[in-house]
Amino acid sequence: MSQVRFARWLLFAAPILFICVFLLVPLALTFTISFWERSGFTIKPGLSLDAYKVFFSGVRLSVLRTSLGFAAVVTVLGLLTAYPIAYFLALRVSPRVSQTCLFLFAVPFVINPIIRNFSLAYILGRTGPVNSFLKEIGLIERPVDWLLFSDFSVILGLTLSYMPFMIYPLWLSLAGIDRRYAEASWVLGVPPVKTFLRVTLPLSLPGVFAASIFGFVGTFGESSVPIILGGLGYQLMGNTITSTLDVLNYPLAAAMSSIVAATMLLFLVLWYRMFDIQLFLGKITLRRF
Amino acid sequence: MQYSRSAQVAIWAYVVVVLVLLYLPILPPIATSISPTGRQPSITSVSFKWYAQLASNPMLIESVKTSIKVALMVGLVTPLLALSAALAVRELKVPRLILMLMLLPLFIPGISLGLANAFLFQLADIAPSFWTILVVHVLWALPFAFLIVLTAISAFDPVYLESAYVHGANRLQAFITVELPNILPGILGSATFSVILSFNETVRTSLVQGPLNTVQTYIWSRYLQVGLSPQTYALMSLLILITLILIAGLLFFNLRKGKT
Repeated sequence: MSQVRFARWLLFAAPILFICVFLLVPLALTFTISFWERSGFTIKPGLSLDAYKVFFSGVRLSVLRTSLGFAAVVTVLGLLTAYPIAYFLALRVSPRVSQTCLFLFAVPFVINPIIRNFSLAYILGRTGPVNSFLKEIGLIERPVDWLLFSDFSVILGLTLSYMPFMIYPLWLSLAGIDRRYAEASWVLGVPPVKTFLRVTLPLSLPGVFAASIFGFVGTFGESSVPIILGGLGYQLMGNTITSTLDVLNYPLAAAMSSIVAATMLLFLVLWYRMFDIQLFLGKITLRRF
Repeated sequence: MQYSRSAQVAIWAYVVVVLVLLYLPILPPIATSISPTGRQPSITSVSFKWYAQLASNPMLIESVKTSIKVALMVGLVTPLLALSAALAVRELKVPRLILMLMLLPLFIPGISLGLANAFLFQLADIAPSFWTILVVHVLWALPFAFLIVLTAISAFDPVYLESAYVHGANRLQAFITVELPNILPGILGSATFSVILSFNETVRTSLVQGPLNTVQTYIWSRYLQVGLSPQTYALMSLLILITLILIAGLLFFNLRKGKT
């Protein structure tokens, strides 16, 4: 019996151990290494704040600020784009239509975002279809330069990469709302817009917060979009980390990566404390456990 | 409350526009890969020579082999871990904690996740290999696989298990003969989705692959070295098509399940 019990315990513990060993331990390790010292091409254990000093005194601090700003802008753009879609699919169409649409939004998401962004770079390029079309209809005489290798293209690429992912938590929370609340509000004579603002929107906040984290997480750590759509020398946190690795400054890379991961964990803890994740997932899991 | 006809049309138009924006970037690589010049999309003349050239690239062939091996293994390991985690949510007394741990990889940016594992392997003296790539791919696919299996398990009423116990089955027998057949579609769906995610991963892989390459990291390193070549467009098109075929398979499977 005790052997059976042990096997059962091991079965349930396996995924938890996997996450601990390959996610929690490595993140803690990264944080530790951010205090280590460089010696030549290697690193040795220590308790040095050099990496953080270099980070907070150099140009990289402005990279952090830009990245945070971009992540905020892309998150807001993503919410503005995704919320109406999620609202419509959750409350205004049949479950069948809504499933089909959600599926259609998932397909581009699973295709490697790097490939999609190569393509976007072509579409926005000087000789790409957008510029050709604008010239064709006589709106411009020379190709528009700011379409590619600009803040515009980076923000567009980031939004298109991560917005689809934001629809799901929004849909999940909106579809889980008991419609009788909104109906009660209408019955009491409250106009639709006010009903939305005072009933539906507050009830969907867990989804809004979750979607924001998804948008933020992707954008804040993204390392390929700034290279593909930002062009030479364009720096956000993600590709600054990889370029720091290229010059073998491991403690600095570890420090930057820790800052990124810690920001995300902070948001996650906030979400966990403010909302009930079980209740949130209750919709797809059909019942509470 | 019903919308007016024009409001309906406006909302649908909006959904369609967003979908078109999302799907549009899939076309140019395919149109470029079949053009004779291999630089600009073409619809007038078609050539498959760039595809033919792919077969004679030994480095690429190696990376394809790695990708397939990793993807198959991810498709095997991830659903098992996901199943075990989903059962643990039901059986153990700490569902919230398990939910959070399983979803955690979603909230860590790819670059941080890859770098953290690179440090772990470095300090544990584990050389980059098939296994290190496997670990980061499983981490990436696990939250999605977990949600799919969890959905399947939650749709299964445990009262059937009770009935199996009453008839003398032990826990394992009851699970295998009664519950497993019911949740199998969900497990297979999570396996397919894991394979798709593994097949499309670049950033996490590139930090733990060492001298190896997957197809995706091969494309990325070629891009950084020499930019996009006609052969790369052909390769990207193949990856898009394989992904779409896998998704079609998933959809077909789900539709059949829905009918029975």
